[in-house]
Amino acid sequence: MSTATLSAPKSAVAPRIDYLFLGAAVLATAILVALVLLDGQPASAALILGGFGLGVAFLKAEFSYTASWRRFLNAGEAGGLIGGLIVIAICALAVVPVAALWPNFGGAIAPLGPSLLVGAFVFGIGMQLANGCGSGTLYTVGGGSGRMLVTLAFFVVGSVFGSLSLPSFLALGGIDPVLASDYLGPWGGLVATLASIALAAALMIAVARKRGANWRPSRSYIIGGIVIGVLCIGVFFAGGHPWSVTYGYTIWGAKIFAALGFDFSNAGFWQWRGNKQALVSSVLSDTSSLTDFGMIFGAMAAAAASKPFASTAWPPMKSLLAAAIGGLLCGWGARIGFGCNIGAFVGGVASGSLHGWVWFAAALCGNLIGIRLRPAFGLSRD
Amino acid sequence: MRKTYMVVVVLVLVAIVGNHLTSASSGRAVSPEDFAGACAPCGAPCPSKK
Repeated sequence: MSTATLSAPKSAVAPRIDYLFLGAAVLATAILVALVLLDGQPASAALILGGFGLGVAFLKAEFSYTASWRRFLNAGEAGGLIGGLIVIAICALAVVPVAALWPNFGGAIAPLGPSLLVGAFVFGIGMQLANGCGSGTLYTVGGGSGRMLVTLAFFVVGSVFGSLSLPSFLALGGIDPVLASDYLGPWGGLVATLASIALAAALMIAVARKRGANWRPSRSYIIGGIVIGVLCIGVFFAGGHPWSVTYGYTIWGAKIFAALGFDFSNAGFWQWRGNKQALVSSVLSDTSSLTDFGMIFGAMAAAAASKPFASTAWPPMKSLLAAAIGGLLCGWGARIGFGCNIGAFVGGVASGSLHGWVWFAAALCGNLIGIRLRPAFGLSRD
Repeated sequence: MRKTYMVVVVLVLVAIVGNHLTSASSGRAVSPEDFAGACAPCGAPCPSKK
């Protein structure tokens, strides 16, 4: 065996660190952490660092809700979905009892009605065109995908449009949130939540078996699911409520629109107390923005630590068009439907709130449409 | 694409720091659901409260 053949595999697997972007990601994170610590807010620093860890975990595990849902709907493969349920089950262990027992903590709840159904359905269409959901957009933007930069920009714009539409949709009616712990107590609620997750897993496995597909999650989805679940618990304790993503997009968009002269004083959404305050407060006072920023820079650091960052070419125009349309639909749908895969599905189910499962069912139906639309933009249905 | 990314990272960081330094700080980081009457993560009111 020659020296050349000995050295070739070594150079092929050796990580090529992109010091410029690795340094930029770490420096940006350090600046944000320093700013919130100067304000005396260690919990905010924890949210940024929690987001950073989530960005690393998502990127390293290649944890993709969008691809998992597509594989399930196309071929019956349930491994990715089960990996997602691992995250929720771990998160629920802390969220359900703590939110019910401690007054400073709360679960992710939302009313049930047309707004939730329409929003989740539209989000489902959008996530297949965008090729990413709320968390997926963050970590792929951080990971160096120029296409997802386009998705994120339109996601932000769409969520502002959604904020303007939401009061009209809420006027269509609905019922108050249904929370397991309200009916069964903190521990009974936890048992019911875990049972609902187990039932969903059993149904997914049954579908996979019927279609002759694999239902076992890959090793990276199991490890990634456990790590992400534990980080979700950390974010919950630091922020006081379950991890959410897309509210940050709405705030960023509204601040940009306001800076351009748009007047939100007549918009119902922006008169609700928390939103009114968020619009004039520092973006680093918003819990979802803190984890969002951390997640982008965490994914950037992880990507730059293993290969040259953002070294691929821009995708074709049709693909960018799908990214833009998908981003708009995701943004609008997330605001109308009370969140994305993370805020509504993961956070909702992990809180024992019925809206999480309703969101999942409606979004899954939207995914069916989105998958059928993908070829029109040059994207694979698989 | 690398140049685009570096420009975006710098612009975003400048925007975040600028917004933080020129805006009021609410103290502890909050979410709309932390406020009384909120029925969803975005602060939407409960249907029964209308």
